[in-house]
Amino acid sequence: MYVKVLYFGRLKEIAGSAEESVEVRDGERIEELFARCSSSRPELRKFRSSLVAARNREFAAWDTALSAGDEVGFLPPVSGG
Amino acid sequence: MTASHSQDRIELTREIIPNATIAREVRADEDGAIASFDGCVRNHSHGRSTLYLEYEAYESMALAKMREIAEHVHDSFAINRVAIVHRLGRLEIGETSVFIAVSAAHRAAAFDACRYAIDTLKKTVPIWKKEFFADGAVWADGEVPPLPAAAETPAAKPASN
Repeated sequence: MYVKVLYFGRLKEIAGSAEESVEVRDGERIEELFARCSSSRPELRKFRSSLVAARNREFAAWDTALSAGDEVGFLPPVSGG
Repeated sequence: MTASHSQDRIELTREIIPNATIAREVRADEDGAIASFDGCVRNHSHGRSTLYLEYEAYESMALAKMREIAEHVHDSFAINRVAIVHRLGRLEIGETSVFIAVSAAHRAAAFDACRYAIDTLKKTVPIWKKEFFADGAVWADGEVPPLPAAAETPAAKPASN
């Protein structure tokens, strides 16, 4: 199954794209998806401890299991205002 | 999403924010106070001279989070209307990046709600600021939003009677 992955802020610059479709196994967790996405971009891993994940536009725990078609955002610390 | 407050104004925009218009439009005849917050672009950051800023957002989620803030404000403070407008794209020194206005019968609720709204926006709404200097650019240090356990615990809705 596939999920949509979104990158923002400095993560977008490191990832080299804002959005990608990623094939994951059934029941894959967000943590595993992040490991998959960062396997080819080790630089991303440095930011893991400061990231928050969102699933379908809601903050989500890293052990959240994914469903086909989910939209997952990896969000650096927010700095609006 | 709970009952919508149709008079609220929750927006992301790439245009100059019309602060005065927004502040005027939150007022109704039963209100005795308008409190507003104008977040504007400063010409310095950490001792360096800022040239301009760029803001970007996870727009669909940011709007959802801004609407949640508005709902919480209605549930928690004796206010009438709330407007929360955040600008995106390139902003020059002195321009407004975020404008919040709250109307209420009495000033305390308006002040408290306005303060709650900007403080919560800065901690929970997925918007990012990049600062441009003469010698380069950096993404601003930000705040890590609360983990889901905290973020997803909605405040108890008071009985509507």
